[in-house]
Amino acid sequence: MPEKPIKGEKRYFMTGNEVVAYAAVMANAEIMYGYPITPQNEIMHYWTRMAPKYGKEFLQTEDELSAGFTTVGGVLAGRRAFTATAGPGNTLMQEPISMAEAMRLPIVVVVQQRGGPSTATVIYSQQEVTLTTLGGNGEGFRVVYSTANHQELFDYTIKAFNTAWKYRFPTFVLGDGYQAKMRESLTMYDPEERGLKMVPTEAYVGKPGVPGIDRPPGQYRNTYNVEEEIHEVVQQYTKEFNAIAPEVAEYESFGTEDADLVIVSHGVVYRAVKEAVSELREAGMKVGYFRPITLRPLAEKELKEMAGRAKALLMAESSVGQMTRLVKEVIYGATADIHTLYKPGMGISAEDVAARVRSIL
Amino acid sequence: MAKAVKIVLAGEGGQGVQSVAEIIAEAANEEGREALYIPNFGVEQRGGVSVAFLQIGDQAVGSPKFNTADIVIALSERAVRRTSQYVGPDTVFVYDSGLQGIEDDIPKNARKVLAIPALQVASDELTPRVFNIIIMGAVVKATDVVTEDRAKDAIEKKLGYKFEKNPKLRDLNYKAIDRGAELVAALL
Repeated sequence: MPEKPIKGEKRYFMTGNEVVAYAAVMANAEIMYGYPITPQNEIMHYWTRMAPKYGKEFLQTEDELSAGFTTVGGVLAGRRAFTATAGPGNTLMQEPISMAEAMRLPIVVVVQQRGGPSTATVIYSQQEVTLTTLGGNGEGFRVVYSTANHQELFDYTIKAFNTAWKYRFPTFVLGDGYQAKMRESLTMYDPEERGLKMVPTEAYVGKPGVPGIDRPPGQYRNTYNVEEEIHEVVQQYTKEFNAIAPEVAEYESFGTEDADLVIVSHGVVYRAVKEAVSELREAGMKVGYFRPITLRPLAEKELKEMAGRAKALLMAESSVGQMTRLVKEVIYGATADIHTLYKPGMGISAEDVAARVRSIL
Repeated sequence: MAKAVKIVLAGEGGQGVQSVAEIIAEAANEEGREALYIPNFGVEQRGGVSVAFLQIGDQAVGSPKFNTADIVIALSERAVRRTSQYVGPDTVFVYDSGLQGIEDDIPKNARKVLAIPALQVASDELTPRVFNIIIMGAVVKATDVVTEDRAKDAIEKKLGYKFEKNPKLRDLNYKAIDRGAELVAALL
């Protein structure tokens, strides 16, 4: 067994893409499939740099459709497989991701959002929320973790493999170009040394024995002949997805009990919100925040309770309301006023958030 | 608790602003401080103004980019124009005194404007190749985000393998840090 790059716990200072590559190695991922696109390229670079030393494999495909399908193939063969993409690559990858949803395949996809629509910028946005949570011709049977810092990129990349293999739904780590390219500190560790067990993988196909005689046949389908069949399958998936949602959903909140205004944000924007809320609180303003960590499924119960109590909400995101649409669906019926701070394709600073809050309160 | 110091460094590609920002960030991290460094990047492979955003503090840094910097260092004519958007009433604006045709572009709302002859010092006293290290000395002195000794350690870490082969380079780089610090110290 090849050694692992990290022993014990140690503080590192590096880019987010590097963090993801290390996390995948430490999560015992076996193979990455990918096609280059900024700002996720360095995930591939660092993975391939480490691959020979730690017994990992890499396949560069001809495009993202193929990267997605080969990831699907890797998982069918029982490999802890993952891919990473962004922007137009994420668009192309929706077809294989739909197949993974259809066949309940635990693929892991890291998305570093860039500006959209189309080629747009290679820099940053939060405009791939709709695509990542609900893309493809399906119902969005996926788990999406939206990270805010390098520690979370490390923690949730490891966690994504376990969530995927435990529940058998495609699982995403949704970062962005800022997180991909910036350098900051984090503590890296070997999950097993922390008592975090990696969920074992298993092959879907190529098992020993005669199907139907020595073992039950594996029927993994993405094609159906009659309406009733697919209807039944989707109903069953819906039931299972809804059942696991409460234990998968994660969030953070602060000061929502007495707040005149609760700011809802996710990902890197949450950093600005947290900073702004702490400043505004110091200035005596009753402001709180709610930050969904999972964008799919959302922490429905907690969001509903918060929105039912709050006088006003401020939705802050680097898109024109992609997170807000998801949240609104959950809090339907709440009477809180909804204010917005939308900066599509651009970062949101603590100054921006504080100024918007002061314009409301 | 003190807020993070916010720094914008901008210049032409090749002037080394990104490596300066990265070395300072790493030096601060080595001191156990919280640092966040993010370069601007686009589709261009060369050309364009290169901007580095750097924040150093004692607690986790908030948003990676910010609206107003505590200190802006602009090293080319275009960089002066590009970075005026990050200047506010509390900002110290530093530029190279050798830049030409920018008189009307120097921000008027800055707390302080410092013109330092870094380019001239580099070519007259040291070598143009350590221009960015002079700038690093100036940034470190003006912001106190790390000590000058720590900045030298960070350079040693980065370029130590070159210093092994040619120890004169070490003196040159250390001298550049000192001269950069002196240039701003005289004006602060």
